[in-house]
Amino acid sequence: MDLMLLAPEITIAVTGLAVLIIGLFLPTGSKKILGYLASLGVLIALALTISSLGTEALVFYDTVSIDALSQFFKIVFLVVALLFTIAGIKYTEGHSNTEEFFTLGLFATIGMMFVASANDLMVLFVAFELASLATYALAGFEKKNAKSLEAAMKYFIIGSLSAALMLLGISYIYGATGTTSIPEVAANAGVLLSSPIGLVSVVLLIAGFGFKIALVPFHMWAPDTYQGSPSVVSALLAAGSKKMGIVAAFKVFIIALIALQAEWQTAFAILAVITMTYGNVVALNQKSVKRMLAYSSLAQAGYITMAFVVLTPIALGGGIFYALSHGFMKAGAFIATAAVTYMVLSENKDSNDPDHIDNFRGLGKRMPITALSMTVFVFALAGIPLTAGYMSKFILFSSTIQAGFVWLAVIAILNSAISLYYYAKVVKYMYFLPTDSEKVSEPFPYTVAMVIAVIFVLAIGFWSEPFVYWAMEAAKVLIPGGM
Amino acid sequence: MAPILSMIVLIPLIFAALALLTKTKEQARAIALTGTVIVLLLTVYMYFNFDSTIAANQFEELVEWVPSLGITYHLGVDGIAMPLILLNAIVLPLLVLFTWNDDRKSPNKFYALILATEGAVIGVFTALDFFLFYIFWELTLIPLFFMVSIWGGPNKHHASIKFFIYTHVASLVMLLGIFGLYFAAWDMTGTPTLDIPTLISQFQFIESGIAKDLIFLALLFGFIVKIPSFPFHSWLPDAYTEAPTAGSVLFVMLKIGGYGLFKVMLPMLPFTASPNMMISIMAVLGSVSILYGAFLALSQKDLKRMVAYSSVSHMGYVTLGAAGLVSLSVSGAMFQQFSHGLIMSVMFMSCGIINNATGTRIINDLGGLAQKMPKLAVIMVLIFMASLGLPGLSGFIAEVSVLAGSFVNLPVYVMIALLAIVITAAYHLWALQRAMFGVYNERLGTVTDISTYQTFSMGVIAILVLYFGLNPSPVLDMMLTNSEHIISLMAAMGV
Repeated sequence: MDLMLLAPEITIAVTGLAVLIIGLFLPTGSKKILGYLASLGVLIALALTISSLGTEALVFYDTVSIDALSQFFKIVFLVVALLFTIAGIKYTEGHSNTEEFFTLGLFATIGMMFVASANDLMVLFVAFELASLATYALAGFEKKNAKSLEAAMKYFIIGSLSAALMLLGISYIYGATGTTSIPEVAANAGVLLSSPIGLVSVVLLIAGFGFKIALVPFHMWAPDTYQGSPSVVSALLAAGSKKMGIVAAFKVFIIALIALQAEWQTAFAILAVITMTYGNVVALNQKSVKRMLAYSSLAQAGYITMAFVVLTPIALGGGIFYALSHGFMKAGAFIATAAVTYMVLSENKDSNDPDHIDNFRGLGKRMPITALSMTVFVFALAGIPLTAGYMSKFILFSSTIQAGFVWLAVIAILNSAISLYYYAKVVKYMYFLPTDSEKVSEPFPYTVAMVIAVIFVLAIGFWSEPFVYWAMEAAKVLIPGGM
Repeated sequence: MAPILSMIVLIPLIFAALALLTKTKEQARAIALTGTVIVLLLTVYMYFNFDSTIAANQFEELVEWVPSLGITYHLGVDGIAMPLILLNAIVLPLLVLFTWNDDRKSPNKFYALILATEGAVIGVFTALDFFLFYIFWELTLIPLFFMVSIWGGPNKHHASIKFFIYTHVASLVMLLGIFGLYFAAWDMTGTPTLDIPTLISQFQFIESGIAKDLIFLALLFGFIVKIPSFPFHSWLPDAYTEAPTAGSVLFVMLKIGGYGLFKVMLPMLPFTASPNMMISIMAVLGSVSILYGAFLALSQKDLKRMVAYSSVSHMGYVTLGAAGLVSLSVSGAMFQQFSHGLIMSVMFMSCGIINNATGTRIINDLGGLAQKMPKLAVIMVLIFMASLGLPGLSGFIAEVSVLAGSFVNLPVYVMIALLAIVITAAYHLWALQRAMFGVYNERLGTVTDISTYQTFSMGVIAILVLYFGLNPSPVLDMMLTNSEHIISLMAAMGV
């Protein structure tokens, strides 16, 4: 076995451990170096992954597969991790637990990367749990903040429940087919089709993944957790952890359980419609920007779920492409919120709701780079042309029409129209409502993270060809022969 | 050859960004004037190098963009687009001059939005790829939304949101139509393309009649709302009335709905499963708009609102002429877009001046303004006459061509529209008489006549209205070439 194939994962693991150990010997004041170290590690892993695009291999007794799909999602996760670590440099400033913050973040990233390349249900589950456990702890990183603890608690309890459901579903599949290998499950799916066990496991798995992806009605935890967690962690949850749920669901449903398509396709259609509509409608009236982003994240997950309904190579490519775009847009938006939160808290330590939309008043004058970046992110999320969000919606929605699901496309497009209202509201607050506060200096690491995200959001929207190409390659892994 | 089309699209957008960076009114307006004049010069150059005897796209630029989805950067102009680009290029520098001495908050944003609108609208007229077309189409929405919501009248928030949602939903329906066309052609040929001429030519080979009708109706809806036509016109009076004067003029320049009708709809029309139904839909919408808009205009108390409704009525001629399907009516409808753009911009400028000078636009509160504002009165009388269709002015040529041409195929609808002519004359003359003539209403206090800049802007456009009324051929020739081309395609199909 060629270890080079796992070089990105190994790099992240080594960096994570190194950060943890070095952190023990550093005084709090000089722990800033850990953030740079973590970012460097992620950057190397990202470079390694990009350089190995196109390789295909099976390792660890065929339980881990390296292919276009896994590489594509690994890039998504690593990019989110990069934004997370860069923004984390500022967030953890002066914090005595800096090393834990970065180590947990990196471990979560490894978990996500292994989910992306899992070729076996057990590997998938263990990697899923690795990522989940690390993010539970991260959500409660602000130990003295009741909201953060509540967020972590809710996330932990519901996450554990969903893991249990998922495991139960996997065990039924194993019981019926006698294997946990994803391709072999697919080959033996006839057994599942002929017995009620198949249906039971589909229901359990939809519920399990539904929690992670935050599909309505399994979404209850998401708004509270995204709002309560530190914004930088919310970025990781919404942009990274959620995509992990999606890639896991891709693997389990579209590769392993494709034979049971009739059982789950309708369920996903209903979930997609409810999720996008509920997310958008509830987002309209939110006063907290983070909560608004949380609901918008539900809506976006609803759009991506359409790929499970349409199931054509273009739709799946569109869903995968959407996951990439969403990673940049959502992580960027949360980091911009983090910058605002930082500004509010540095002015008034006891501020209760630093993410209230009133704090965005006149941001265009107070923090010009943050405001401009936030504008790009929300417009991209709304699907304004020439951004990554538009390109994603263009591919995904149009493929829906191609496959004949015109009603679904109409609902999605109307939803998209609704969403513009609350996204534009943020821009209105930033640029058109007056403020009497002074201009403040923008925290440098947040700015770097936002600028990277802005560049990619615009690059994906403008120079889409390579991204679309690799997303379509990834989709071919899911449906080898096309439809 | 220099990429002249990219230049006339990008220069306004670049100057918009520059204008945003300025600090004072003087800098912002200088940049706006420079940008719009450069576009005017380039457009004039392009106009004189344009071959009006062929219907094909000229000055084409084609660059691959996203090959795996068939997206290209494809620009070009034909005889449908060229006059509309010319219209924008002529009116916009004059609009900047018109607002030259106005004092308003954030002049940098104001001029940036004017330039951004110009770039986006010209972008729609030049785009030959649906992806690009849609981008520019949506881009026109954003500056106009802000134009109304920042500098608008008392009801600006309501008006801007209504405009935005109304036309955004329409654009999304149009997008559905584009998707449908895109994939129907992709399934048929095996290669994805969003190229507008290619997709239009492939439309006829789509097998399913229902699919063809749905695609056609979805696109038609997007265009009809933008025109706008009855019954989707209700955003227009609010938006036009609440917008600042410059915003109203920009709305008038937004001829993208009618453009879509000629460029996309007409070549597809004969190949739909039920062309007669589609023609009837367009004819009904057009003739009802003409009559209903005229009645609504007659009942308005606010001068600007009256002008807004008269715009609905006039744009009805565009829809009706397109449905007329003979080259006279189609070229007349195209000419109506051009002429209406010139006339309406002066109408709205006049409303803005009256409002600024007297503080009211209620027609009955005005009176005898001609005594105090003789220069304005001269221009207004000329333009009102043009708007009601007096021979010798540009409005007459357009309306006569539409009505005479459409009579061949659609006599009943033309008769409905003819009823409106009397009402149109009535509300124009009545408003003019009450507002401008008669005894001066002393309660209005002292008012001063229009400034030199304003006289120049309005005067130039008024002279153009007169010029094109006497000699329409500089733009009508290329419109005729293109409408004859469209009609010959239909004749070849035996429609």
